[in-house]
Amino acid sequence: MIVIGMADYAVTRSPEKLTTLGLGSCVGIALYDPVTKIGGLIHIMLPTIENARFTDNCAKFADSGIPYLIEQMIGIGAVRRRLVAKIAGGAKMFSFNSDASMNIGERNIQATKVVLSEMKVPIISEDVGKNYGRTVVLDTDTGVYYVKSAIKGENVI
Amino acid sequence: MVYDVSKLTDFHYSALKEISNIGIGNAATSLATMLGSEVKVMTPDLKVARIEEVAEFSGGADKLVSGVLMKLSGCVKGYMVMLLPPESAKLICNTITKEQDSDIKNPMNESLISEVGHILGSTYMTAFSDFLKIDVFASAPFHTYDMIGAIMDNILIQMSQEVEHAIILDTLFTLKGNDMHGKLLTLFDPISLELILEQVNALFR
Repeated sequence: MIVIGMADYAVTRSPEKLTTLGLGSCVGIALYDPVTKIGGLIHIMLPTIENARFTDNCAKFADSGIPYLIEQMIGIGAVRRRLVAKIAGGAKMFSFNSDASMNIGERNIQATKVVLSEMKVPIISEDVGKNYGRTVVLDTDTGVYYVKSAIKGENVI
Repeated sequence: MVYDVSKLTDFHYSALKEISNIGIGNAATSLATMLGSEVKVMTPDLKVARIEEVAEFSGGADKLVSGVLMKLSGCVKGYMVMLLPPESAKLICNTITKEQDSDIKNPMNESLISEVGHILGSTYMTAFSDFLKIDVFASAPFHTYDMIGAIMDNILIQMSQEVEHAIILDTLFTLKGNDMHGKLLTLFDPISLELILEQVNALFR
């Protein structure tokens, strides 16, 4: 099991598993090529690298991280047109950001969807939003994405 | 200019820890009064961490805790977070409500835990602010029972847009022997640190 931290990513192939822990407003994007059984997982924090003050880590942002993850997967043998995506996270953990524009979880989900659509990677399932944290595991043998939460238990998507 | 956190001297480390010690000492006294039980505190730890690493430092990203969060405003920008393992949260509820088996997800108990966090956080900050003679205010508390990573990431996302590092004052407190323990984290950014250090220099030198 490869553990990915916040603003981090990894790519691997079957039978290895990829996980990232305690997603709140962050989004965990799992990409998978079912033929080569190559998987990639990224834990993004923010929607966009544009106007960001610190840009040294592209894995922090949806718009710079997802294309980078795709490149890394192609680098080890995945085929772009076969890639599918499963996404989880983007919760609104606290109500103190009542202003809608401040709902970073929702903005992260939207940015993720826009980027994946631009990259022509279909989202085949998702478990996003709401108000609870999620731990995710991508099984590269099956492409199954396990989403665990304290409240809802385990959801297999 | 943002203060370069790597240039923190031993003197600054000790001064910040000492101020934090006064803060947690006062906070523990108010908790002890509330619970009618002795509260012990450990010497605070001061860490400088990249934003991305904070959740791990706080006790493990997927560990379930009762978390109470307060936003700091005034001269210092940052957050205070109280993290209680579920069994400790339950013990606090049992002690206050005199129940045997409190359900920490019950709204009454959630607001009770929230108030405990608020009392701890605001007493700590009052001591901190009185000592350094700077204005710092803690917001109303927000409570949730969830994974540490999920509780912290919202704060970290907000901070990461301004700064790369967070300064974390990490204090542990225990109650009733060692049966109950919790963490009170104070996070502030290097910009606030600059002001704090100026005050430290003015007071000690």
